[in-house]
Amino acid sequence: MTDTQWPVFEVFHQQARGEPHVHVGSIHAPDAQMALVLAKEQYARRMACVNLWVVSAEAILATDYEDADIFDHGTDKSYRESTGYQTTKRAKAIGDTAEI
Amino acid sequence: MSQQTIEQLKPQVKTAIVDLLYRLADDHLILGHRNSEWTGLGPILEADIAFSSMAQDKMGHALAFYRLLQQLGEPDPDTNAFLRSGDQYRCCSLVCLERGDWAQSVVRHFLFDEATRIRFEALEQSRYEPLAQVARKLRGELKYHTMHGQMNLDKLGDATEESHQRMQDALDRLFPHAMGVFEPTEWDETLAAEGIQPREAELCKTWRSQVADMCAESGLTMPDDVGPIYGGRAGKHPEDLKKLLDDMQKVYRLDPDSEW
Repeated sequence: MTDTQWPVFEVFHQQARGEPHVHVGSIHAPDAQMALVLAKEQYARRMACVNLWVVSAEAILATDYEDADIFDHGTDKSYRESTGYQTTKRAKAIGDTAEI
Repeated sequence: MSQQTIEQLKPQVKTAIVDLLYRLADDHLILGHRNSEWTGLGPILEADIAFSSMAQDKMGHALAFYRLLQQLGEPDPDTNAFLRSGDQYRCCSLVCLERGDWAQSVVRHFLFDEATRIRFEALEQSRYEPLAQVARKLRGELKYHTMHGQMNLDKLGDATEESHQRMQDALDRLFPHAMGVFEPTEWDETLAAEGIQPREAELCKTWRSQVADMCAESGLTMPDDVGPIYGGRAGKHPEDLKKLLDDMQKVYRLDPDSEW
């Protein structure tokens, strides 16, 4: 279906400083500034929020779902998983939560 | 002079504060109701949701002021909102007017929220501490309202020939009513002398100069040769308010004693 409305902007929401910006949805707006103002009421009026990003949907380059097989693991690659390291536990213990 | 608490208020000062609080509460309630009329009718979904959400904020701000009134011995917020007649309301004519087209509502929102921002900045320093606390608490929400208002003025002021014309028409029509936000009252001197709020004329002057700059930046011309429309602070309102109150109070008045 052709979208006859304003351009689409993807909205990213950050719950606390240092946390990642998480994609929460999209919004129609005539430009990025307006998208940011409108996104506040669409996506941040209930959840805690310290920062919002809007990104023009056109700026995103994505893989095709028909190529999703490129992500398959054909052979055992458990050696790539970083489990079993003691350092993970130690890092958690000292509280690796410094603000970025 | 130190900050004033409720117990320390002189009778004349208390009367002045009560009058000020009714003006604030009624402006916010009526504008909140007016702006909520766009719910489901906004030009696009995103604009509809943002405008409706801000209308709810305005109701919340009205409630904060009605609660301050209740602390001073006035009736509870529901009684004040739903059982007073038009002539008992102290809102300005700007908030009473029918919503008009989107440009009228957006320009009213811009003019009113800039006036509120300037007033609240002063009220944050008020020597009546309960009022100063409310002004500080609402700062963030109001900041967003002014961002939204300025952004819309900026975009619609010169987006197309039609949008410019509608915005300029709205500004020409609403400006005299917007000046009426600052209608002086007999309590101006008391409020200023007690450090509760600067004189209305002083607030109006700051507002006019800032709004003129913002309009110019948006390609619009603020009318400078028109006089204010007063009366609201004395209970004299345009006919529009009666219709609004009939609508808003209808259900509550069916049975004021029922539990909600």
